[in-house]
Amino acid sequence: MTSDTETAHASTVDSSTTVLASVRARPAVGWALLGSEISVLFRRKRTWAMLLALAAVPILIALAVRLTESNPTSPGRGPAFLSQITNNGLFVAATGLVVCVPLFLPLTVGVVAGDTIAGEASAGTLRYLLIAPASRLRLLAVKYIGAAAFSLAATLVVAISGTLIGIALFPIGPVTLLSGDTIGVGESFVRSLLVAAFITVSLLGLSAIGLFFSTLTDVPVGAMAATIVLAVVSQVLDNLPQLVWLQPYLFSHYWLSFADLLRQPIAWDSFGANAILQGAYLLIFAALAYGRFSSKDILS
Amino acid sequence: MAQRLFKWAPAVGAVVAVTVAAIAIPMTANASSTLPAKTPAQVLALVADSKVSAFSGTIEQTSDLGLPSLPSTGPGSDSSVASTLELLTGTHTVRVYVNGPKDARVQVLDSMAERDVIRNGSNVWVYDSSANTVEHATIAAPKGARKAHLGAMEQGAIPQIKTGTAKTPSQIAAALLSALRSSSTVSVGTDSTVAGRSAYDLILTPKASDSLVGSVSIAVDSATGLPLGVDVDARGQTAPAFSIHFSSLSLAKPAASLFAFTPPASAKVTEVKTPDASPSQHTASPKPTITGKGWDAVATFAKQSELTKLESSSEFGLLTSTVNGGKLFHTTLFNVLFATDGRVLVGSVSAARLEEVAAAQ
Repeated sequence: MTSDTETAHASTVDSSTTVLASVRARPAVGWALLGSEISVLFRRKRTWAMLLALAAVPILIALAVRLTESNPTSPGRGPAFLSQITNNGLFVAATGLVVCVPLFLPLTVGVVAGDTIAGEASAGTLRYLLIAPASRLRLLAVKYIGAAAFSLAATLVVAISGTLIGIALFPIGPVTLLSGDTIGVGESFVRSLLVAAFITVSLLGLSAIGLFFSTLTDVPVGAMAATIVLAVVSQVLDNLPQLVWLQPYLFSHYWLSFADLLRQPIAWDSFGANAILQGAYLLIFAALAYGRFSSKDILS
Repeated sequence: MAQRLFKWAPAVGAVVAVTVAAIAIPMTANASSTLPAKTPAQVLALVADSKVSAFSGTIEQTSDLGLPSLPSTGPGSDSSVASTLELLTGTHTVRVYVNGPKDARVQVLDSMAERDVIRNGSNVWVYDSSANTVEHATIAAPKGARKAHLGAMEQGAIPQIKTGTAKTPSQIAAALLSALRSSSTVSVGTDSTVAGRSAYDLILTPKASDSLVGSVSIAVDSATGLPLGVDVDARGQTAPAFSIHFSSLSLAKPAASLFAFTPPASAKVTEVKTPDASPSQHTASPKPTITGKGWDAVATFAKQSELTKLESSSEFGLLTSTVNGGKLFHTTLFNVLFATDGRVLVGSVSAARLEEVAAAQ
């Protein structure tokens, strides 16, 4: 991963890191840098605010359904799974995810991914990070993993808060899959975790795009906005019948295909296709981000 | 400066690699294969001798009939119209599991929803996940050994079932071959690969020149004779007007648990009365009168037929145009004339021919 010259350079600068400790506690190498990045990310108030907002989505859905229970939703109205909630609280998590995937999750992931490099640049901490023995490639990798970790956390927060509020407000029992087959509560948790994994994978491409935009500018809001706008544009294009040829290549194409995990037997095709698609976006945009970041003059 | 440019090398490499993969992988999947040459008669014999009784697979179906794409089946929209037209527009993915003539399951995979038809012995269940409804019917076993896999399900024994899209390529191929073989020129095209299996391409071209259908090509599995895909080309249109293909196929016996269906506790279950599978009971939907034979045949339905119901729907006005003697529903593959006297004429022929037949009767 790291080029030889830079690791050699690293050992000579090692002593200087103590000076930087007062700026921001950043341990010198590899895993430590990653640990530090993740702990900084998850200690930020903004991260907590976003996770709480995501947790509130299924809670609001559950409360709305509970308060209007005397007037049940007819099947087929509203987001998928909504009409099932009164029978089985475990559907709150699925409904929450259906609602969050198109906008709220890309929004929060866009904020985190767009902030990765540009945020450090605008705070003036980027050059200190690079004076410390962290190569630019490693810094990019660490930043990207941080954004991916946030994607996982965000998805899990929606799934877990949905499950908990569902258990609290509604009866729970065996879950009916889309195919009409019924699975036990234990297996339904396994499926929920698979869905969370699917959605996390779905957001990897967007995180890489955000990382690239973040290397283009020193203004984090610009990178965040560009990432989020692109997520929306991609979904709009995915709905235009004239662009059928383009749609399989859009990074948002499989976002709602997590429903394929709720069939019996599980339709794994879309999981695989989604993973390959996101991998391709990750490869291209991580390489672009590297090209831009490693050839750029760091002035702040 | 050169060093800086060098930093962009991985980006260029990644873009090139992904582009090459995106172009090359679909090409290898659809690569033509070379099989020992067979005459059309030999390929037809291969289909006729096909003994595949258990398989599972995924089917992709696309239609491009020059129709406007309608909003998908919503609540409150007329389901009979929606399910009829659904077959004619857009793309569908269907999974099928078949084990012998009596166990079958067809799943129409919709976005965030699914429609299932499960046949387990004499029980037929239809589950619609978006409406959360179950329809159940008990059918009498069809007399004698029938070749068609889905047996009575296909005979229209359960009219309410929305199985519009739930057909396998083999069923469609069998129906086309039995109806059209005598009026077509049969040839064998280039070998192809469908669902990873090498296949012969059987091409039916109408002898009659006034049909809207240009040709029908059937991909026949070289190993088993099972039809793997059907393409119907309309005259003057490059993309197939209708295409149905296996995208994956396994000849292994599907798990028995797939055919065991218990309605979910929350679903509304309706018992559907089915007429006996014998044709004499089919009084409800009288047979249409057929004018002509083969490709340019015109079917005329009497007034009370199911098709007349379509006229009361709100979409009807948008989809049809007024012509001499009634309303015309036009697609690149066939025309439907709703005559002013209530008759409905259907045929893969020009509108003028339909009007001619309507006037003659």
